[in-house]
Amino acid sequence: MNEGIAGKLAKQFINSKITPLLMMAALLVGIMATFMTPREEEPQIVVPMVDIYIPLPGATPAEIEARVAKPVERTLTEIPGVDYVYSTAMPDVALVTVRYKVGEDAEKSMVKLWSTLMKNMDKMPQGAGFPFMKKVSIDDVPVLNLTFWSKDKDPYQIRQTATQVADELKKVKNIGDVEIKGGQRRQVRIMLDKAKLQHFNVSPLQIARQIQQTNSQMTSGDFRQVNQEIVVRTGKFLENAADVSNIVVGIYGASPVYLRDVASIVDGPEEVNNYSFFGFAAAAPKGSPSGEYPAVTLTVAKRKGGDASVLAGKVMEKVETMKKSIIPADITVSETRNYGATASEKVFTLLEHLLMAVVAVTVVVGFFLGWRGSLVVLASVPITFALTLLIYYLLDYSLNRVTLFALIFVTGIVVDDSIIIAENIHRHFAMKRQPKLQAAITAISEVGNPTILATFTVIAAVLPMVFVSGLMGPYMSPMPIGASLAMIFSLLVALIATPWLSFRLLKSGDDGHHEEYDITKSGYYKLFNTVLTPFIDSSFKRWMAFGVVGLMLAGAIAMVPLKAVQMKMLPFDNKNEFQVILDMPEGTSLEQTSRVAKEISGYLKSVPEVQSYQYYAGVNAPINFNGLVRHYYLRQKANMADIQVNLVHKGERKAQSHDIAKRVRAGVQEIARRYNGNAKIVEIPPGPPVLSTLVAEIYGPSQSEQIALAKQVKQVFESTPGVVDVDWMVEEDQKVYNLVVNKERAAARGVSAEQIAQTLRMSIAGMDVGLLHTENGHDPVTIQVRLPQSARSSRQDLSGIFVQSQGMGSLTSRLRAGQMIPLSELVRVEEKVQDKSIFHKDLQRVVYVTADVAGATESPVYAMLDMDKKIQKLKVPGGYSVNPLYTANPANEEKLAMKWDGEWQITFEVFRDLGTAFAVVLVIIYLLIIGWFQSFKTPLIMMIAIPLSLVGIIPGHWLHGAFFTATSMIGMIALAGIMVRNSVLLIDFIQIRRAEGAGLKQAVIESAAVRTRPIILTSGAVVIGSVVMLFDPIFQGLAISLIWGGVLSTILTLVVVPLVYYMAEKKSN
Amino acid sequence: MHLRNKLFLLPALLPLFFTGCGPHEPLPAKSGSPVSTVAVESIVPVRSSGHAPAAEELLVPKSAIFMKGDLEGVLVVGAGDLISVRWIRTGRSLNGDRVVLGGLEKGELVVGKYSAAINEGVTVKKSPRVTEEKNTNE
Repeated sequence: MNEGIAGKLAKQFINSKITPLLMMAALLVGIMATFMTPREEEPQIVVPMVDIYIPLPGATPAEIEARVAKPVERTLTEIPGVDYVYSTAMPDVALVTVRYKVGEDAEKSMVKLWSTLMKNMDKMPQGAGFPFMKKVSIDDVPVLNLTFWSKDKDPYQIRQTATQVADELKKVKNIGDVEIKGGQRRQVRIMLDKAKLQHFNVSPLQIARQIQQTNSQMTSGDFRQVNQEIVVRTGKFLENAADVSNIVVGIYGASPVYLRDVASIVDGPEEVNNYSFFGFAAAAPKGSPSGEYPAVTLTVAKRKGGDASVLAGKVMEKVETMKKSIIPADITVSETRNYGATASEKVFTLLEHLLMAVVAVTVVVGFFLGWRGSLVVLASVPITFALTLLIYYLLDYSLNRVTLFALIFVTGIVVDDSIIIAENIHRHFAMKRQPKLQAAITAISEVGNPTILATFTVIAAVLPMVFVSGLMGPYMSPMPIGASLAMIFSLLVALIATPWLSFRLLKSGDDGHHEEYDITKSGYYKLFNTVLTPFIDSSFKRWMAFGVVGLMLAGAIAMVPLKAVQMKMLPFDNKNEFQVILDMPEGTSLEQTSRVAKEISGYLKSVPEVQSYQYYAGVNAPINFNGLVRHYYLRQKANMADIQVNLVHKGERKAQSHDIAKRVRAGVQEIARRYNGNAKIVEIPPGPPVLSTLVAEIYGPSQSEQIALAKQVKQVFESTPGVVDVDWMVEEDQKVYNLVVNKERAAARGVSAEQIAQTLRMSIAGMDVGLLHTENGHDPVTIQVRLPQSARSSRQDLSGIFVQSQGMGSLTSRLRAGQMIPLSELVRVEEKVQDKSIFHKDLQRVVYVTADVAGATESPVYAMLDMDKKIQKLKVPGGYSVNPLYTANPANEEKLAMKWDGEWQITFEVFRDLGTAFAVVLVIIYLLIIGWFQSFKTPLIMMIAIPLSLVGIIPGHWLHGAFFTATSMIGMIALAGIMVRNSVLLIDFIQIRRAEGAGLKQAVIESAAVRTRPIILTSGAVVIGSVVMLFDPIFQGLAISLIWGGVLSTILTLVVVPLVYYMAEKKSN
Repeated sequence: MHLRNKLFLLPALLPLFFTGCGPHEPLPAKSGSPVSTVAVESIVPVRSSGHAPAAEELLVPKSAIFMKGDLEGVLVVGAGDLISVRWIRTGRSLNGDRVVLGGLEKGELVVGKYSAAINEGVTVKKSPRVTEEKNTNE
């Protein structure tokens, strides 16, 4: 027999001393790599996203849209690599978000963006501020949150402690950004007294100018004297509140007016601008206090490539030591997020699963080949994985749930090569036709080449998944890469290590029976003889059998349109947290928002699985990856609140986080609705985050028409069962007082419009006029000039504000310079409604309606199909109907149009790419087998096995009540490779037997009999290895595909493929 | 070959595949914890200053307001006489009252005199003097 590559390799290594050394070396480097590879939960996804803020003070959204947003967008879309450009034109400012294609280099993208922006700065309107660019990256997401809370201390004091701690933590190696959420900063507040200002004839602008001019100090140069240089320094910075209060701001009569004469100066907390509280809930450990406490949260992010769990450990250690010194006894530090711990846990759970899978597979192999055989197989797995982990490390992958999952996924597959080789050696040893060494080499030569071919078919099956594009790409790509690498290593191990091990471990059949081996006496042969003969002999029965199989296939596929099995991109993972996002109508006071947040928290407190909660009103909660994409870090307005809900550890509760979220939704929203608010339950998405699960983008000729249609679409959303958390990105009407300056009067009094605007801004919003130069520089201490709260709450309060006339210098007035003019004389108040923000997506004006799905339907696609019919019936001006679009933006904006986006977009991209990948897989497999068998027909027969897997896969999902997800699809694709490999092994043996002179029928039955054992063994390994994944919410779909598809298509392959081959060959004979 | 005997064991593994089927039962929600009752001197409603509707202002007595650092709070008597802390923002003073800028609504009941002894989550009893106080306040 021709030895082939496999036989030659085996001959080299089967008795070589180098083989055990190679095995040991592989194991060692693998173990080292495992410890050196950083661990994290989510894969590193590089989605360069840049937010650009361009201020144009005073402009309306429409103006911003036309003058700032549009020109910027237009230039930015020209940059290569830009995927989407979004913009929001708000009053006074434009926010343009540029999203690059996944995987684009972040730094290069920033540079390109910067240069393009600078090139076009001349197109910016007069008065536009300098653009402020902010890169948004996954490493901005804090991995560790420490909440400082106290029964007795107030938010200001807590924040000061947190600031000191943050300062210390900055010294920890490899630490990223440290931020503080909540509490009040230290500030020197200059609260103006309107009456005294008028009395002393001092204007707010004058005060600001005086403070700025006083607060200066600089090095003036040096004197040289007697061979020495003496530095000369001038001025003195403001160092404390007393310094500030002693500033002379004006003159009254002959005496100076000090700042303290016209304002009260307080060095202390800034004005309250957020309410953040912490509380324990129903599932808190016994003895936890029941109230809610002012809280300040310190967030720690990691640096790129750092190990989250190591960093978290170091930080916690440091915090422990500070508990004696910096952190007073009455401030408690609670860990409210630790992604390091969750990452470690996830990694270790997956490693445990991996181990279980390996053990389970070994046991199965043991059934067939005895313990010695299973030992051979068992030894080959760690070597394969060790090498794969090494490559992970070299390729800069981290150990995360996707990379590890790739390993679990291939556990069942990587043992196959070893199984096939070991099994055949075992069989040849048992046959005893040759001496031991010769038997082993013959055995390897016999199956070696089909094994190599089979390995490449499986690789061909999984590798095209690399080409999944979009956000899902980085989630997917480690899988095909990891799996392909593991397959190649497993092949090498099977050809080098397995023969060496088998030769030493497997016994050459000294178990008693010495008669000549005869296949026809084996149980398998008898079985297949009885099963296959009737079908081979009677073509009627054969067609009947094909008919039955065809019906089963049709029945299985029919389950999809019948909704017995639903499609979804990815199911929810069981997490230990979720968030409640509360939006009150625009214009709601911070206190009212905080009150609603508090009430919702009160309800959440009673939920048995909730351990603790924090609410943040007026400041955003520490973001997660989801919040990063959804821009939750901008949620700092008075009408917004975030509630972070921490559940007990998933091991200590029965309910999945998704079920808890579903359960509390009604209660939470009921409270929010009572106050006209909108509350959403936001879970951490299992895959790439999107704006919302369901997004309807509404395009049209004018904003008012778009909003009118959006309103109708929103109603459709609300009336569809299973669609929850309905919201839209259209602000509620907010009251605006427009102070219109009477230009003539202002000119006659020597006052400029700018002066008026600045005075008002300083009085109401306050103005930071400088920094206090303190010794300990934890948080910068700003000096702010503002009217006290009590003097700036109504229109009447405006009357007491004065501006100073510029006098003759203004060239429009004959008044004396410095004369105080009351504002009320110069402005007229107009009551208006705030203009709505204008959103753009890829240069088209858009209004978003968003929602989530839960309950009646968990898959957005079905909800969308449901709503399509209703949306088509909507009446729009012009009398046409709106057909929701699925994949492409509307061609023009002349007519109202709607496009689905959100999870759908990603689902569509993934299934499209996976579908394309699958088609490519089929072609590659076909080509591979043609190359091997030199026949155009045989590959087609072999590929019959592929659709047969559907008979198992779809009903399997139905039995488990699971969704057909992206992972199910991956399972299906991988299965195609495995099933073709089985066919290859079957038909290869038929051809060998026929070449040896056996009859067609005899060869077919013999081949089925001989190959059943390795086929059942390898498929069994895949099936058993996948069982552990059944319990993982995300990978369940893949497990179901592999298990049910594997079982049914193996059985069907063993019967159908030989029969079809028989039929085809008989005809050609 | 003695494999056939062992092969029968394989179907025994089948039930394993069915594990994880079916939805999980939701847990019933726990009912509230025991509450204690405290008697307070006065409970007053949030009043309106009664100016023109455009310039309406809400008032609470100064004694009802407590400070936590810079946070200002009142004890609100909610449904079932349950006490909860409400953070508010106040403006200028008006006689013995403060103008409430945010956090309270007209007609809500607050404890007239703040006492650190009254914790969130307790219920309060209106002592007989309550009605008198209300009258004198108005």
